[in-house]
Amino acid sequence: MSDATTGSGGAGGLGITEADKSDPATPKFPYPPKPATVGASHVNQDDPEVRKAQEERLIWVWDAPKGWKYWSAVNNTEVGLWYTATSFAFMLFAGVLGLMIRVQLAVPENDFLTGHFYNQVYTLHGTVMMFLFAVPIFEAVAIIILPQMLGARDLPFPRLSAFGYWCFLIGGIFVCGSILFSAAPSGGWFMYPPLTTQERFTPGYGADIWLLGLSFIEVASIAAAVELIVGTLKCRPPGMRLNLMPLYAWYVLVVAGMILFAFPPLIAGDILFELERLFNWPFFDPERGGDPMLWQHLFWIFGHPEVYIVFLPAIALLAMIVPTFARRPILGYSWIVLAAVGTGFLSFGLWVHHMYTTGLPSISLGFFSAASEAVAIPTGVQIFVFLATLLTGRVIFSVPMLFVSGSLAIFVVGGLTGVMVALAPFDWQAHDTYFVVAHLHYVLLGGMLFPVVAGVYYFWPMLAGKTLSDKLGKTAFWLMFVGFNVGFFPMHFSGLMGMPRRIWTYPEGLGLELPNLISSVGAFVFAAGFLIVVFDVLRPRSKQPYAPRNVWNAGTLEWLAEQEDKGWGVRSIPIVTTRYPLWQQKNFVEDVDMGRFYMPDAEELKRETMVTSVLDAEPVQCLRVPGPTFMTMWAAVFLAAVFIFATFHWWYMTIGAMVLATIAIFVWLWRGTALIPEKGEKDVGLGLKLPLYVSGPKSVGWWAMFITMVGDGTAFLSLIFGYLFFFTIHEEFPPAGMAEPGILWPALSLALFLAAWIASQMALSINKAGGVLLARALIGGSALLAFAASAAILAGPYFNGLDPVVHVYPATVWVLVIWTAVHGAAGALMLIYCLVRSFAGRLTPEFDIDIANTALYWHFMAATALIATVAVALLPLAS
Amino acid sequence: MIHSETRDNLWTLIAAPTIWALHFLVSYIVAAAACVPNVAIFQAIAGPRILIAVITAIALVAIGLIFWRARREWKGHGGGSVHDTDTATGRERFLEFSTLLLAALSFVSVVFVALPALFVADCR
Amino acid sequence: MPARRPHRVTMWPVGKFDAVLSALEGPARVVLPTLLGLAVAGCSQEQSIFANAGTEAAQVAELFFVMLVGAVVIWIVVMAMSVYATRANATVFSDKAGTRLIVFGAAFPTIVLAALLVWGLMLMPKLRRPADGPTIAVSGERFWWRIAYDVEGEPGVVKSLPAGGVESANELWLPVGKRSEILIGSPDVIHSFWVPAIAGKMDAMPGRVNRLVVEPTREGVYNGVCAEFCGDAHAQMGFRVVAVSEADYAAFVAAQAEPAAVTSGRGADLFLANGCAACHTVRGTEADGAVGPDLTHLASRRTLGAGLLEMSEENIAEFIRATEHVKPGVEMPSFGVLPQEEIDEIAAWLGALK
Repeated sequence: MSDATTGSGGAGGLGITEADKSDPATPKFPYPPKPATVGASHVNQDDPEVRKAQEERLIWVWDAPKGWKYWSAVNNTEVGLWYTATSFAFMLFAGVLGLMIRVQLAVPENDFLTGHFYNQVYTLHGTVMMFLFAVPIFEAVAIIILPQMLGARDLPFPRLSAFGYWCFLIGGIFVCGSILFSAAPSGGWFMYPPLTTQERFTPGYGADIWLLGLSFIEVASIAAAVELIVGTLKCRPPGMRLNLMPLYAWYVLVVAGMILFAFPPLIAGDILFELERLFNWPFFDPERGGDPMLWQHLFWIFGHPEVYIVFLPAIALLAMIVPTFARRPILGYSWIVLAAVGTGFLSFGLWVHHMYTTGLPSISLGFFSAASEAVAIPTGVQIFVFLATLLTGRVIFSVPMLFVSGSLAIFVVGGLTGVMVALAPFDWQAHDTYFVVAHLHYVLLGGMLFPVVAGVYYFWPMLAGKTLSDKLGKTAFWLMFVGFNVGFFPMHFSGLMGMPRRIWTYPEGLGLELPNLISSVGAFVFAAGFLIVVFDVLRPRSKQPYAPRNVWNAGTLEWLAEQEDKGWGVRSIPIVTTRYPLWQQKNFVEDVDMGRFYMPDAEELKRETMVTSVLDAEPVQCLRVPGPTFMTMWAAVFLAAVFIFATFHWWYMTIGAMVLATIAIFVWLWRGTALIPEKGEKDVGLGLKLPLYVSGPKSVGWWAMFITMVGDGTAFLSLIFGYLFFFTIHEEFPPAGMAEPGILWPALSLALFLAAWIASQMALSINKAGGVLLARALIGGSALLAFAASAAILAGPYFNGLDPVVHVYPATVWVLVIWTAVHGAAGALMLIYCLVRSFAGRLTPEFDIDIANTALYWHFMAATALIATVAVALLPLAS
Repeated sequence: MIHSETRDNLWTLIAAPTIWALHFLVSYIVAAAACVPNVAIFQAIAGPRILIAVITAIALVAIGLIFWRARREWKGHGGGSVHDTDTATGRERFLEFSTLLLAALSFVSVVFVALPALFVADCR
Repeated sequence: MPARRPHRVTMWPVGKFDAVLSALEGPARVVLPTLLGLAVAGCSQEQSIFANAGTEAAQVAELFFVMLVGAVVIWIVVMAMSVYATRANATVFSDKAGTRLIVFGAAFPTIVLAALLVWGLMLMPKLRRPADGPTIAVSGERFWWRIAYDVEGEPGVVKSLPAGGVESANELWLPVGKRSEILIGSPDVIHSFWVPAIAGKMDAMPGRVNRLVVEPTREGVYNGVCAEFCGDAHAQMGFRVVAVSEADYAAFVAAQAEPAAVTSGRGADLFLANGCAACHTVRGTEADGAVGPDLTHLASRRTLGAGLLEMSEENIAEFIRATEHVKPGVEMPSFGVLPQEEIDEIAAWLGALK
């Protein structure tokens, strides 16, 4: 890395230097085309020779690696495709499990599966469908089509997407594979303790596999959320103001925001859960002050928004498909925005409707009942917007539309039964019965699977260049539609007839035989229909000619994609002035193809995309994005190893993997982020010059840090929620005679943390002002203070002898201080990284992304330290 | 063209539902704190219910103000429900109209969430 | 080992189809027999929420039927619009008409949902009124139900079920026309107490005491189940509810309070000698184990193994011999190692404990 230490911008010119070759932002392929010598504003774009040279450069720059190195690709198209294919593979696996359930329940007192194995099967069916298909498919599809829809060449953090994908793949295989050893989790997909936390009820590794595997996948989801929020807000094409954004992008923004607030509570819950399983800390054990209700709160604060996290992106596909086939712009654009944002908020006020029967007071249930009814309003609005758009347009029928209609028919049933179960008194009957099983499948298949299949038929020509078969599509639809209804409608009855969910057998004579048999038949018909879709997608079609470009004659930017697709995303980054540029802007496609808009070239042979402002998408920066690397895969592998080794209690190996994962992440950061460009700004065409390096709130990295820390802060607040939860349910908390962490150590720790925080902020401004030496001293001092502060906060409970095993009070205190100390140590590592970067010449007064982002982290760190120390030191005084 | 008094952005857009969320959270906490021991469940909880009524009134007024502000400026920009023009005014008008719709939804939702405190008088 | 297949409980003693029909008065309820035609025909309803054997179940069924009719109408209207709109030669409506439809799509649900919400909110406190009948403790345990009549206690958090009372298991007697207060808890994992014919469910939470008010309106025997997944034998954690007159209820509790009818003999000796008493109580003998169900009046119950088998001497013997086969996942070990003759003796004794 020493060869890079001298780079400080401005000197490189346009030539490829030796230093650039070791720079991973330049893909390492043989025979690179020659770099351009003239800026984009000064070439004649109508000259075919010029265009040919530009295209060669673009193709070379954006091409995915060949051979085994293909797996180091990070392009959104490659990663998105892997992601989608993997999600569907998990879906098929879970589908087989679903069919096994239906075989078992086809007749009463069946012995196809044992109860013990059945419990693993249904748990894995739910878990895989929800965590490995429904949520990831959103991320997968968004990673593919969002940049296309926004006329961007890639998402702002391609390597983060790749890292997320590898996490997802490894975690998913780990979770699914467990059933082959009959070691799968068997407590249901929401894993209620104490059944799942106590060894005597669930011996073995099943629950640990569930928990650690999924925690790991949650990391992938949050990574995707960060990527997609920044992508939507900052990577739109110039001119695409908020009111011109495709509706899909609105949905992505809302859903990614929801992930940011919904997943962290589950991560917090996972931490408590696993600490109980691994170390016997009694968070959910009532005998030592714990309460199983806390898990239900944390799980469903995640779990209900999750339903909308699954549903909204699928509805977003409908919002793109419907206008295309109604041959008109969407009617009621603002109403969709209302619905998306409104649902996003209201969905966080529903969680207790999964807990109506837990004995909470009626008034509390009432609030959640009210919000659960209210959320039906925006949901209904979306359906009426689609109906209104169809009624005011001239509809062309097609296979995607067939699936859209089918999804409406199914989803509306699910919505209506949802309104029913939202009323607590009815839910007291319906809860945990097959009525709810029917309801949730109507919602999820009508609201997610059918739209996604509609999306597959709709977008396939864009992705693969060839259309899917109409004939097969229609057959598949009718089999799926009829099969689904035959399979799931009778479950409403069996539920009301008194059939609880999650039973592996049922007796004769209750009237359950017929509905169950019909359900089983329907399930197989449905599966046959889905297999036809799979066949249609996978069948070889080398003889089939390419579909015409923009085969459905749609109006949005993703349909600029050429047949066959080029890796560059768009030929030039267009200026957008309408919602449906392909319909509403003259000569649009030709202008894009001729490179008459921005960035028609990759002059320096680097991957670049444009960053614009949030409200009006004014150009802000030409962003260099990093190219292929295996480092993200290594980071994911080592991180996976941490989780897997921890599952089996191999502690030394866990710690080793942790160190390797940290190293991998720092290597990835060092080589791929905050690279100092060879010149300050660059001509992107049409006379516009944009900076290549910006830091602070203007940079995408700063926003990524901000968003990540919002999610991280939410997880921390969820732990605080747990602490206050125990405080409210216990008359005395801490219980009399219990050791307390005292005032001294927390106060000292807070003082040290605040000093570290101030030092980090001063380091940022002094470095900017040119005081490099003083800044280095401050950075180093701040790191030392951070380590000391982390040690001090641990010292409180340690020296006062708080034993986390005896009661939930010391356990909760320990969790809060460990969380804070770990974050303090991470903050210190980031500061040390900045220090090294400064010595290496990669962090300078002018190029200060690293310290700017670290300083931002420290704002959150200071808030965390403040809340944690106040909570552990002062709460005992309050009781 | 009338220049708007405020410049709308994503934060003003979500102000009304954020108020709903805060109202929801506070109502829940007030009721939970009053009922958490789950004993003496038939004892009336007038105090917490009045408190919920008060925060409901505050929330409704705040959302009403947001609604009224958005509506005035949206009308000032010419109203209408189509906002796909490529101008800063077009974007502004779109945000105002969406804010208005979200404020209406938030208003209804706050009323919904206040209803339990109206109909349930104790901790049963 | 070829198992003698125990006789499963298949038919419930009382046919209640007439009662169901008589409950289905009023225009909304007429829909039921048609819609449920396939399910109702020829089977008893004792586990259905439509059995109409309790005030809560009846009021919730009414709520359901109103919602059902509304849902059917709404679904048909929306589907009619969808089908019409996607026809190739449909009339093209004006944007104004379309916008009106969207506004309607926001306003109509708001009104309907508000009305439903108010209904639900008014119903909730009503269903949780103070009780005027006995207080009964029900403890959900893996995988059976411990029942104690006439206890004194209150619901609450960070609490255990009140002790004392007249102990029984897996069969809950209730007086008709009285609102009995069921206090529900659990010493191990979460279960959920549900008698669909009478009332909605309530979870049995470790560390909490929950409360459910049940008011049977007609005499009969009803099925109860565990509705929250609790482990391998979750599917076989049932119970019976026997709704009787107040006088019969009082007589039943008094009888249950008595010691066992037979307290000596070879069966009782073998029972004690083989360690059964470590888990089971038979009042009047030395057996005072508290882990498993109280067997003092075992034979008075309709079922064995938590709603699993019909009560008979043969089934008791089978349950002792092949417990884990009859009820996989059960906490009680199989006693197949005992000579069949000894098992039969124990079963004969237990079968006499009316």
